[in-house]
Amino acid sequence: MISSMSAEPSSLIYMVAGESASASITSNIFNSLLKYNKDLDLEGELAEKWEISKDQKTITFTLKPNLKWADGKPLTSADVLFTWQAVINPQTASPYASDYALVKQAETPDERTFRVTYDQAYAPALDSWAGLQVLPKHLLEGQDLHSTTFAREPVGSSYYRLGDWKHGENITLTRNPNSVLGPANIEKLVTRIIPDNSAQFLELMADNIDSMGLDPIKYSRIIPARPELKKRLNLYKELGNSYTYLGFNLKHKPFDDVRVRKAINYAIDKQEIIDGVYLGLGINIASPYKPGTRWSNPDLMPYPYNPAKAKALLKEAGFVDTDGDGILERDSKPFTFEIITNNGNKEREKTAIFIQRRLKEIGIDVSIRSIEWASFISRFIKTGDFDVVILGWGLGLDPDQFNIWHSSQQKPGQFNFIGYNNPSVDRLLEQGRTELDPDKRMKIYHKFAKVLLEDSPVVYLSAGYGLTAIHKRIQGIINPIPPAGVGYDSQKWYIPEPLRRNEISTN
Amino acid sequence: MNFDLFKKTLANPLALAGFIIILCILMLALFAPVFSPYDPNEIDVKSILLAPSSMHWMGTDGLGRDVFSRMLYGGRVSLLVGLVAVGISTAIGIVLGALAGYYRGWVDTLIMRLVDIMLSIPSFFLILAVIAFLTPSIINIMIVIGLTSWMGVTRLVRAEFLSLNEREFVLASRTLGAEDFRLIFTHLLPNSLTPIIVSSVLGVASAVLLESGLSFLGLGVQPPQASWGNILTDGKEYIQFAWWLSLFPGLSILVTVLGYNLLGEGLRDALDPRSGSNK
Repeated sequence: MISSMSAEPSSLIYMVAGESASASITSNIFNSLLKYNKDLDLEGELAEKWEISKDQKTITFTLKPNLKWADGKPLTSADVLFTWQAVINPQTASPYASDYALVKQAETPDERTFRVTYDQAYAPALDSWAGLQVLPKHLLEGQDLHSTTFAREPVGSSYYRLGDWKHGENITLTRNPNSVLGPANIEKLVTRIIPDNSAQFLELMADNIDSMGLDPIKYSRIIPARPELKKRLNLYKELGNSYTYLGFNLKHKPFDDVRVRKAINYAIDKQEIIDGVYLGLGINIASPYKPGTRWSNPDLMPYPYNPAKAKALLKEAGFVDTDGDGILERDSKPFTFEIITNNGNKEREKTAIFIQRRLKEIGIDVSIRSIEWASFISRFIKTGDFDVVILGWGLGLDPDQFNIWHSSQQKPGQFNFIGYNNPSVDRLLEQGRTELDPDKRMKIYHKFAKVLLEDSPVVYLSAGYGLTAIHKRIQGIINPIPPAGVGYDSQKWYIPEPLRRNEISTN
Repeated sequence: MNFDLFKKTLANPLALAGFIIILCILMLALFAPVFSPYDPNEIDVKSILLAPSSMHWMGTDGLGRDVFSRMLYGGRVSLLVGLVAVGISTAIGIVLGALAGYYRGWVDTLIMRLVDIMLSIPSFFLILAVIAFLTPSIINIMIVIGLTSWMGVTRLVRAEFLSLNEREFVLASRTLGAEDFRLIFTHLLPNSLTPIIVSSVLGVASAVLLESGLSFLGLGVQPPQASWGNILTDGKEYIQFAWWLSLFPGLSILVTVLGYNLLGEGLRDALDPRSGSNK
């Protein structure tokens, strides 16, 4: 099976690379202690079972028996301990270190037992252990994870092992006979590195790749219009893993005024954005959680499009058009600001144009600027030098969003760059982290989402669908798509003999 | 500028073609509000990426906006940037070139070394670097292109001045006691005007191209305002499917640049004593 991605991984040690390009390869090579099943509940992967102590501070994992690395060496709790030590090591400088640094003590009473103790109960703990890919101690001990050759020739325990890596061209994974979860069906996974999206699509049309992610225009306009593509490809649609928002710089006037933020929220027609930008392939959201999941508060509704209410709120906040030029003023200064977003993201640029038009209608003069990603982050986001931004956040599986909304997370480079500071939200986020009872935790996050919606530090714009095309020769794909996504259980996918590609066509 | 030169230029069929092309594009851009069937920024969610038809002569873009109307307004941007940028660069070029060519000595050395330094930097990268520090807008683009493309004119004016300085009428005027100012503005400059005009016309072509390039990269004209460059960017994504988004702006840029080049070269041929038409 041949797929494609736009960026080449910098390293195949995920805790070092911290990028999606790396994750898409390493998830086939390494295992974690736990994983999410198809309904997004946690189950054991390397772990056979896990126990949480009464005081909720200690978790004891028991590994499955007879685990082996791809090179035949045994996989034991010492490897897990080694991985934990590596991820919290300041020299590793892993972007994920903070979750694991909360572990006060980690120990391995025997070869199959791994025990961690926290200072206080930490609810996202299990989620964090599902995210940590266990590395082999016998190959990495004493090495610098940033410079080790292991990053280019990894040895894991999962369905595949690295076969070949042609830099700038492709990465080939071959079936790992020692896979701890049993063998995968498809013998070879080739991921071709094609930076340009249009070029990827050309390869899909030429039948040189078997799957790729699509944008709404390709999904609903181009492929249906071409019978030869329609005959060859299955299209999959699932709720995506991220949402787009309009974020205010709360340290800048007038965005510190909740009436202004609400007014802008009412003035934006979100349905129009979904129809125009996503061709209807997206949904409205009212909280930063995936609709339909436990953490999403079903009672919350997005702000409806209501320009009259927006105008009234602005008037209340002191904005009136005194000179009759169609633009509102306060203290004889016109209400004008700049929306910035990263260039190259067509959806966000188009969204900005829709917003610009709607805000003009209520008397706000908006300019748009799209900026190249690296300078966008370093020059504007990290320095806080912006008024309003259009960006996206992931819809994570664990509800903890401390990093994004807690007032302590405002230093340059941290994620609360909009400067949100709400003591009641801070309190809820802290409670949510220490509450392990799922039902109580759910109530906390429902309340958190409600406060957030009323306070409107960001305008939730939309959550687009994830759209994928996969060649019909790939069979065994779960349909309808489970909550865990179209790629769930891909080791069970198979290609019937007559439909297989010849060896030569993979290059 | 003399009328005779124009007559001679337009006798050349290619130059005439260039002149007509530019005239047409100028008219279309100037009267864009009259010709355009739609508001160029009117979004229509129901008609996204429609192929050219009698309703939309050049189809619609990814937001359902009429490409023909956007092309007309984009033409305004392209031409405005071209003309103003060249105006700025020509003004700077004339002043510096005149100073260098007239006073010579250390003034000349200083200005010419400055020209050499500027020419040693690839101009597109220089412009990219400057734009990165500024807010992208039409005005900034015009200024930056103007400030980075005066070197050719400077050299030209200097060379003209150097040679004119030795001519009898200038010497005569000088012996009669004419001041520097009078010499420069009544004798030297009027006599070097024609090559300046040729170089400006050619300069407009490259400024149009530069603006399209910058807008294509997202550093030029900002949304929702249309420019040929950013219509082309929108088209890149769907070049297979929505060919009209790439074809029309691409063609317009090509034809405009061709028009200016034809006219510029026609003017140059008409001026050149060695060219056939001058016998």
